[in-house]
Parts: sequence; structure tokens; C-alpha cells
Amino acid sequence: MSDATTQLVAPRRLRVAIYAADPLRRAALRRLIANSDHDAADTTEAADVLLCDGDCRSTEARPFVTLGGTDTGQAGLLAPDADANQIDAALRAVAAGLIVRSPGAEETGFAAMKETDLQMLLTPREIEVLSAIGEGMTNKSIARRLNISLHTVKFHIESLFRKLGVRTRTQALAKASERRRIETVEL
Amino acid sequence: MTDQADVLAQLSNALAARVAAVRGAIVAIRLPGERHLSGTLWQPDVVVASEQSLPKRNEFELIMPGGSAQGGTVSAKVAGRDPGTNIALLRLAQPVSLPPLVSGPAEAGALALAFGADGVGGTSVRMGAINQAGPEWTSSAGGRIDQRIVLDIRLARAEEGGPVLNAAGARLGITTFGPRAEVLVIPAATIERIVPALLRDGRIARGWLGVALQPVGVPDALHDEAGQSSGLMVMSIVDGGPAAKAGIVAGDIVLTVNGTPTRRLRRIATHLASESIGRNADLRVIRGGRVLSVQAVIEARPPA
Repeated sequence: MSDATTQLVAPRRLRVAIYAADPLRRAALRRLIANSDHDAADTTEAADVLLCDGDCRSTEARPFVTLGGTDTGQAGLLAPDADANQIDAALRAVAAGLIVRSPGAEETGFAAMKETDLQMLLTPREIEVLSAIGEGMTNKSIARRLNISLHTVKFHIESLFRKLGVRTRTQALAKASERRRIETVEL
Repeated sequence: MTDQADVLAQLSNALAARVAAVRGAIVAIRLPGERHLSGTLWQPDVVVASEQSLPKRNEFELIMPGGSAQGGTVSAKVAGRDPGTNIALLRLAQPVSLPPLVSGPAEAGALALAFGADGVGGTSVRMGAINQAGPEWTSSAGGRIDQRIVLDIRLARAEEGGPVLNAAGARLGITTFGPRAEVLVIPAATIERIVPALLRDGRIARGWLGVALQPVGVPDALHDEAGQSSGLMVMSIVDGGPAAKAGIVAGDIVLTVNGTPTRRLRRIATHLASESIGRNADLRVIRGGRVLSVQAVIEARPPA
């Protein structure tokens, strides 16, 4: 079997190198890769495909999938909030030599500045609770750290879930890190 | 019947004449993988392109109008990039002759022609109505765009950055993609305003405080004192930047900048235009449950 043929057959289990500036986001993507039965590769050389949060700096010969970022003709371009199934499907497709675009990826053009949407803003307390969830803390230890009752922690978490439109802690973390990426303003 | 055919033939001839008039201003910018992007000759030695789609490199090969037979392939250095207005400039080593084009106004409903490079020295053409000709706007990167011009035209990726003419043959600007592949025009007025500074400095200086912020709700207990229900919480601070020098710390919630509530981001962007560098920014912040006032001196944003 020639090298070219080998490359065109997508292995069942892919080695994926992940690039994300935000450590929370990187951790979330690592988990997602593991849940899809792929292995995280530490270096580009050891990877079959690259997964980049936003623009990939690499001009690698290896195919890469970006979550958001510019369409520079890379193999895969998904929306920044693509879900686990879409990311898995895209990684397998680009490893098989296909090109992947999603309708949501079209949101990346030259756009007007957005004003803050006041509806679903998190409060500083909710952000503290969220970052504690990100550290894997239980409700009990969150209550202890923030010096509030268990009841109040549950109240904050319910409010967080409602504002983010999610049902689980993992979803809340993914959604919040995505929102943070979109909403973060640099002045 | 003959009359109708004549009208169409006249329109067709007029369109072909427009193409002939602008052809000499359209270049192809070579990209890896046999692809290209379009650029518009703006001055005899300056090509304007769409910043967002130009890879981050210092030098590009350009296929000049006429292709290898005439203009051939030349290399051009990137002379400046401004993500704020989405303008990138490429400088040619040798000036070339430029077709005489004047800039003109955009009106909703008027016809527009969008041109691109075909990658072998020729021109591709699209025609459609000007879908919107709105007021000036601020881009997400903080640049001021003189007019919101949207075209009712579909464009190929390779055609982005080519010139747009109105029916009278006046140059409206260059094309770029907005969200959902909407085709926008970077107005000629914006390009003319930005080009001299961009050629001189390689970038457009913007005011900078050196903070990354996230919108948050103001805690209920502080609504009255703060006088508003949202603010921007400081997530990180650049070491040695203006905010750091002013004593801003992570967790501070910025309520206003020079009196403008932080939810009015477009207004805030105008407070940080290039003229603001060296001036004071008055920040009202919530820290430790109290509202206080902090002054920072605006500096120029360091190069990325």
C-alpha cells in the first residue's frame, strides 16, 4: 500500500494536536477529543490532524480544523461553538482528505462591533462559582471557599445553567469559555 | 424587437467598456495551494487588499493585469496592515501605470460592478444592486468605516479585495466578506484616509489601556450607587500597561470610560481613537463593593 493510500484512509483512532490560547478552552477540547476516542498528541509531528481554537499559526502540511478564525483555505473550518459530534466528524473527514465547512463558520467575516447584550450577563459571583466548577470542585467545597451556604451555591448554579442554556457542568464550562472568547473585550 | 435587442446590446457594450476601464487596476495575490486573492492598485506602487484574508506573511507574488504576457509576476512587500479597517497594503518595487479612476458615492438601489482577478492576469466581473448604503460604522476591531455599503452580489473567495464601481464608473472601494459571506465594500473614503498613515507606520496606532474585560451584571446591592446594571470585569491586565500603572486590578468592574457606560462599546472605541494617545481616561470602577474613580494615561497599542 502506498503512502498516499494510507493517508486517505481515516484511522479509527486519530492523534490530534490541540492549539488553544485559553487554558480552560484547551482542557475542554482535550476532554472532548478523549470522549470521541481520539488521542491528544503533544507535538504537531506526532499528530494526524490539528485542532485549533481560532486561527492556526501553523502552515503545516498536516490537515487542520479551526474553530472560528479566518478561512485561509484550511481543510476544516467550523463555527467557534461547534459541538463534540461536529468536531469529531470534521477531524475524521479532514484526516480522510475532505474539506469541511459549516454554515456557522460564515460568521467570521469583517463585522460591526457588538454592543453588550444585557439579558444574560453573569454576575461576578456566578463567574467565581463557574471557575470553581472548572477546577472540579464539589458544591460543598465551593460553598466553603466562597463562604456561602450550600443552598446559595445551588441557587447560583441554577441561575448559571439558565443563563447559559445548559443542563450539565461540562456543558456550562464549554459554553462559558466559548462565550468568554466571544465577549472578551481588549481595551 | 429590434429596439429591445439594441437596448441590451447597448447595456452590454457599456458594461464591457467599464471592464476595460478598470482591468489595469486588478491584481491577483498568489496564495499557497494554487489559490489567489484579489487586490486593487490604488497608487502606482500600492495595492490594497482585504486584511482579514491575507495570510500573515511579509511578501507575496502578484500576477499583474495582462498576466505573464504583459505585466507578468512581480513580488510585493506588505507595507502595512490595519485589522480595524480591514485594509492591507502591498508595495510594488516598481511603479506601474494606473487606470484613471475617480472615487464616487454609493446609493442604495444603484447598480454596482464588483471585479476580481481570475489568477492568470484577467478579470472576473459581478453585477448587482447596492443593497444598503448606510451611515458610518465601527468594526469589531475598533476601526471607523466611513459608510456601510452592502452589495447584492455573491463573490468567490478569490475575488475578495477587487474594486467596485458604480454605474457611472466611479470607484466605490474594494470588496470584503462580512458575516454570512455578505459582500461589503470598504469605502474609497476609508482607504484614502488610512493609506498615508498605514504606509508611513505600517499600522494604525490606536489608544490602549492594556486590559481584557468581560461583560458582567452589576451585583444588585450596587445597582443604585453604580447607576447601571452592567459593567466590564477586568479579567487580565498587561504588565506595565496603562491600566496596570493606574492600579487597576483583576476583578475590578469598569462602569464608565470618560463618562460613557461600558456597554456602549462603539462609543468607547471612539474614546480610544489614535488622537486619544497621551490623554487621560477617567474610569469609574467597582472594587471591593465600592465605586471609585481611577485615572489612566492612554498609550499606543503595541504591535501584535
